[in-house]
Amino acid sequence: MFVGQFIFAVLFIAALIFFAFNFYRLLALLCLGRWENRFDFLLTRLKNMFVYAFGQLRVIERPYGVNHLLIFWGFLTLLALNAEFLISGIFPAFSLSFIGRIPYGLLLTATEIMSLIVLISVLIAVIRRLFFRPAYIELSADAFIILFMIAALMVAYFGYHAGEIHLGKTDWAGWMPVSGMVANLFSSVSTEPTVQTVTHLCWWIHALVLLAFLNYLPYSKHLHVITAIPNCFFRSFDYAKTVPRLIFQRGNEFGISRITQFTWKNLLDFMSCTECGRCQDGCPANHTGKTLNPRDLIHRGKLNLFTNGRSILAGRPLDSLLPTPADAEMNSPLIGNGENSISEADLWHCTTCGACMTNCPVFIEHVPKIIEMRRHLVMEQSKFPEELTNFFMNSEQRFNPWGLAPTDRAKWAQDLPVPFVEEGKPVEYLFFVGCSGAYDSRSKNVVTSVAKIFNHAGLSWGILGNEEKCCGDSLRRLGNEYVFEQLARDNIATFRKYGITKIVTHCPHGYSTLKNDYAQFGGEFEVLHHSQLIDQLIREGKLTLSKKSNGTTVFHDSCYLARYNEITEAPRNVLKGTQSGSGFVEMPRHGQNGFCCGAGGGRMWLEELEGKRINTERTEEALATGANTIAVACPFCMTMFEDGLKDLDVVDQVHVKDIAELVAESME
Amino acid sequence: MHIIVPVKMVPDTTLVKIDPETNTLVREGVPFITNPFDTHAIEEALRLKDRYDAHVTVISMGPPSAEWVLRRALSLGADQAILLSDRVFGGADTLATSKVLSEAIKRLHNEHPVDLIICGMQTIDGDTAQVGPGIACRMKFTQLTLVDRILQLDLAQKRIQVRRKLEEYYESVEASLPALLTVVREINSLRYPTVPKKLESAETMIPVWSNEILKLDPNTIGLKGSPTNVRRIFAPQREKGEIIDAMGDNKDAAVNMIIDKLFEWNIVIQN
Amino acid sequence: MSQPSDGNKRPKRPRGKVRYIEGKCIACGGVCQSACPFDAIDINDQGEPIIHLAKCNGCRKCIKVCPTEAIELFYTPEEEKILSEYYKTDDIKKTAAKLSTIEDWKGVWVFVEQIGGHAHSVSWELLGVGRTLASDLNVELAAFLLGNDIGNLAEEAFGYGADKVYIIDDPMLNHYQTATYLHGCVSLIRKYKPEIVLMGATGLGRDLAGAVATELRTGLTADCTGLTISKEDRLLEQTRPAFGGNIMATILSETARPQMASVRPRVMSKREFQQGRSGEIVRESFLLPEQTLLTKILEIIPTQSQSSVNLAAANIIVSGGRGMMAPENFAMLKELADLLGGVVGASRSAVDAGWMPHAHQVGQTGKTVKPKLYIACGISGAIQHLVGMQTSDYIIAINKDKNAPIFEVAHLGIVGNVFEIVPAMIAQLKQKLSHAENKSKIAV
Ligand SMILES: Cc1cc2nc3c(=O)[nH]c(=O)nc-3n(C[C@H](O)[C@H](O)[C@H](O)COP(=O)(O)OP(=O)(O)OC[C@H]3O[C@@H](n4cnc5c(N)ncnc54)[C@H](O)[C@@H]3O)c2cc1C
Ligand code: SF4
Ligand code: SF4
Repeated sequence: MFVGQFIFAVLFIAALIFFAFNFYRLLALLCLGRWENRFDFLLTRLKNMFVYAFGQLRVIERPYGVNHLLIFWGFLTLLALNAEFLISGIFPAFSLSFIGRIPYGLLLTATEIMSLIVLISVLIAVIRRLFFRPAYIELSADAFIILFMIAALMVAYFGYHAGEIHLGKTDWAGWMPVSGMVANLFSSVSTEPTVQTVTHLCWWIHALVLLAFLNYLPYSKHLHVITAIPNCFFRSFDYAKTVPRLIFQRGNEFGISRITQFTWKNLLDFMSCTECGRCQDGCPANHTGKTLNPRDLIHRGKLNLFTNGRSILAGRPLDSLLPTPADAEMNSPLIGNGENSISEADLWHCTTCGACMTNCPVFIEHVPKIIEMRRHLVMEQSKFPEELTNFFMNSEQRFNPWGLAPTDRAKWAQDLPVPFVEEGKPVEYLFFVGCSGAYDSRSKNVVTSVAKIFNHAGLSWGILGNEEKCCGDSLRRLGNEYVFEQLARDNIATFRKYGITKIVTHCPHGYSTLKNDYAQFGGEFEVLHHSQLIDQLIREGKLTLSKKSNGTTVFHDSCYLARYNEITEAPRNVLKGTQSGSGFVEMPRHGQNGFCCGAGGGRMWLEELEGKRINTERTEEALATGANTIAVACPFCMTMFEDGLKDLDVVDQVHVKDIAELVAESME
Repeated sequence: MHIIVPVKMVPDTTLVKIDPETNTLVREGVPFITNPFDTHAIEEALRLKDRYDAHVTVISMGPPSAEWVLRRALSLGADQAILLSDRVFGGADTLATSKVLSEAIKRLHNEHPVDLIICGMQTIDGDTAQVGPGIACRMKFTQLTLVDRILQLDLAQKRIQVRRKLEEYYESVEASLPALLTVVREINSLRYPTVPKKLESAETMIPVWSNEILKLDPNTIGLKGSPTNVRRIFAPQREKGEIIDAMGDNKDAAVNMIIDKLFEWNIVIQN
Repeated sequence: MSQPSDGNKRPKRPRGKVRYIEGKCIACGGVCQSACPFDAIDINDQGEPIIHLAKCNGCRKCIKVCPTEAIELFYTPEEEKILSEYYKTDDIKKTAAKLSTIEDWKGVWVFVEQIGGHAHSVSWELLGVGRTLASDLNVELAAFLLGNDIGNLAEEAFGYGADKVYIIDDPMLNHYQTATYLHGCVSLIRKYKPEIVLMGATGLGRDLAGAVATELRTGLTADCTGLTISKEDRLLEQTRPAFGGNIMATILSETARPQMASVRPRVMSKREFQQGRSGEIVRESFLLPEQTLLTKILEIIPTQSQSSVNLAAANIIVSGGRGMMAPENFAMLKELADLLGGVVGASRSAVDAGWMPHAHQVGQTGKTVKPKLYIACGISGAIQHLVGMQTSDYIIAINKDKNAPIFEVAHLGIVGNVFEIVPAMIAQLKQKLSHAENKSKIAV
């Protein structure tokens, strides 16, 4: 045994050194990123880590998530005994039994049961992958290698303990029911020497697989076993609603085109991906046949980090934990067509709907990364789909996406009782009309309804008229931060000039932008979406909806309401108030799990030529509910559904209405 | 190769309206922009720059604030910009404008010989399409108006081939350099400036040439050098949109109406 | 500033000051500023004048030059007082400056544009308006023509109203070239000194007119829609759209001769052709020294041979939307477009349905077009479509829904069924076109 001990000791130490080396390299790779402080609120972070990493709250939300939870906890339990196992490989006398007979016995039993469950889970996982694989799971050798290793560990564990029981080498047989059963199996089929060999073999298999596993991890998607926990710890607390502000100064770089321009936390994101494919499953672009796949995008980020990072580090072994020099050479571009790069087309496909981020069990933030890369393309390269040239110039010169006369912005209000805000005469609410409301004839009916509602409720409100400018949402998501910033500053100055404190919008994009993005520019206002304000007015009894409708209505959640700002109840309350019966139905994908209409992230201004139209997909889903009214709370969704109905040729049977229109209709 | 692009700052005219009651111009909120036709001239010059490594100089005559259109051109990639600004240049019509511009170009020409001048076909505030020919005439450059495509450029032989877009047909022409082109909108689609270029151009010093530098006879420039002057302005008689219901028996009348309009609008003519 | 004097001395007449009338300035480029001999006017960022009263001498030069009467004279209260006294004691004399050499220029000339011996009809239209101008001035109306072997055109010119025809007939003028034609025109005009010269605002005319005016150092007003003679001062009043057609401006050329104007085709109407009318023909020779020609025409490419999806450059577009119901119905639009010499466009809905290829899509994510005529058939007018076509010169919309937003931008809206209206249009057009036996034709 001494030779065996010695060999094991050498292997063990080698494996540890190798692991430490791997770990150091990962750390060095992270240090290639820029500094960002994620060491604040340590307690909250710990809590998060327990809830999401150890509790796997997000994992279990989805089918088979429990399976993963069990494997995970099985592992944690096993960890203790595995440590004992490894140490005793060198110092055979070592045992954890010092913790007391009962606790140690319980630990043994728990491990037994866990191992069994893990083994069954692994089997299920294999069978699922082979026979019932959902589209979003990719069939990879990596997965099978890992599953095989886990299975081998479990089998070897039982084999070794069974052998020991059989040979009477342990006092703990009573605590090991499963191994006991296997031992019985041994006694019926084998002779003493065979059992001895098998036991020996199992010990070595277990030992070697364990060491191999430890060192295979960093090379596989199971890197997440190491990185996911810190990633949950370092996650941002807030949903990634915005992107960081830029400083427009000569010499600065705008946007990201090199992997090392990301912060270390972003790099940790890339490394933490479990390749579970949940992001992909919710992604409207991927669902409708575009090449964008958020999982793949993150994976490519990781590959890019590894190929570039490793060669950078090879060039400077001594200072690998110091910041990266700006001129570090890259052998794979971050944005490009190679296998380690993210393609431009993919970046433009994204609707920034956020489904990927909501679904990701380890809080990877896809959208800000996509926007940073768009920023580079737009601001450094001027490379973008050609439709955007007009959009950008119009926004810059005429402050609306269509390039219509800024002097016509208030035209919709001309013959209506719509008050304008005036200096020195403060109103309670500024109604920020937005470009659609001001110019799109379909949306004009919505803002007219909003005006009616506000007047009916006796609200103190007003609009800016021609002084209002585009909120800049699409510009920001498309990466044109420069023009966005100009519009944001101008709007904020106008708000200040009129002493505005509360703003209400009928557009979720304007809502989220004024509320979340303008804050970075010192624009701190109380911002409400019209669904919230109307809901409030109804609750306060200032609005009574007497003429109820009795059709069937389905509500489509806008991404920028439901996901970005967690507004799902207010519009539903309002809608239910307009209905007499129980005609309110839901689509399978709703609330924060809703499916994008296809217009966000500036896609409203881009042609959609690849794959199926996202709006068609979503319209079909709405129609499948049998509703005859599709209620929306966003002008972009409005266009998308109207166009979807046109394409599906059902405009005469089904109508799209903004909740404000429905409320106005049931007011009289 | 040296290319000169004269550009003008104009009010965004589609937004300019006359108040039908007071007969005054409504200019509130009307921004100034680079004359849209000139943006295509700049673009064409920059495309030549990309291919032939040309030096592109933009010049503009206007008030000090017109510096802005020059910065825009610089941010797109022009190499040099000069503002021609002096109160004696003010109030110029096309004749006096072409005088100042061509004198400035002559100065530039002496330093660095000019091969091409590219102008927009016309301005949107004046619509006259005369400044281009005016400069060509004064500079004695070959004049090629209404160009919608540059077919070939042979710098060694000093020859250029272009396609001109006339009303009834296109014409391809060969001409010798130096030449002045006026371009139509269809000639190219515009590029968009990068932010680093925008920031850089915002800090570039733009030389201002006043008449102290050009030393032109005050009687040939500005208001004094302009033979034409505006006597009065008024609102055009706008055709009000007319809507005819042709759902019932009214169909024939409606069709007649359409045909009449086609004649009235000179879409179809009776010889 | 003059002080009210005591005693018996008669007061000096106060000159007043000028002030800007808010909102009237059109930011013409600061004519007032450059007219002011006392540097009393600055121009602000908006292009409007800022008047420094302390420097203003009341000379009124700025008032005279302002195209929009945005500057007015006023008297300060003290001045008002002096003025009332002044009026008691004296009367006012007016002086008018006369311009001398201008008297030498006489007659109205029209340039006859021709290609291959065929005159462009705009020339005859100009003779039509020229006739009126000449009569008002009581001078001769002359046509002048340049070309090779073009003698026959003189007859036509007389028939359309010319009293006299000047001709330069030379092989070098066979094809239009700016340099040769410029030289010919300038030498004729310098020699015979007409007071008014009219040219067609065609591609050729615009190319030539700008050069001629520059060479003669005279004024030129392009694209006039109205030409009249002002009775008091015998000046040509040239009215043309400015600011993209949002305003009309009447322009004078007071100080230089000839007064040149160009007019677009089909703006003026020609006179009835008078068979057998004749007049004097003056032939001039062409003196351009032989030199290497600067330009050479290589090829004439008819517009038709251009790909029919060149929507951006098309003059007439007939577009169909989802209201066309089926791909085969686009044949109808094609027929109409062919009749009018236009091309077929489509809304995105029609493109999505697969009825037309994407290259025909007009709108936000398609082409932006600005034709002379846009006919929208079965198109609702979603904003994404409107932004692509609303600056068309004329828009006809045919839609059965009277609330369709397309009607908001239409110059002529027909609330009706495309399947009734379009075939009826085609039938009528065919009838009208053959009725007139090729006399009536498509004008674009
Ligand atoms: C990102 C994005 C980009 C877009 N880009 C564009 C673009 O570039 N160009 C574009 O056009 N659209 C674009 N759209 C689509 C736009 O929103 C509209 O859906 C589209 O313009 C509608 O086309 P339509 O008018 O043909 O169809 P509809 O809106 O369905 O209108 C059909 C019309 O035909 C009328 N009609 C039906 N039958 C008859 C009949 N027999 N006689 C007379 N009239 C009849 C109906 O009254 C109706 O008004 C875009 C949309 C999005 C979301
Ligand atoms: S934001 Fe939406 S569209 Fe973009 S990658 Fe994520 S899921 Fe896909
Ligand atoms: S990014 Fe998140 S959701 Fe997407 S595959 Fe990776 S871990 Fe799963």
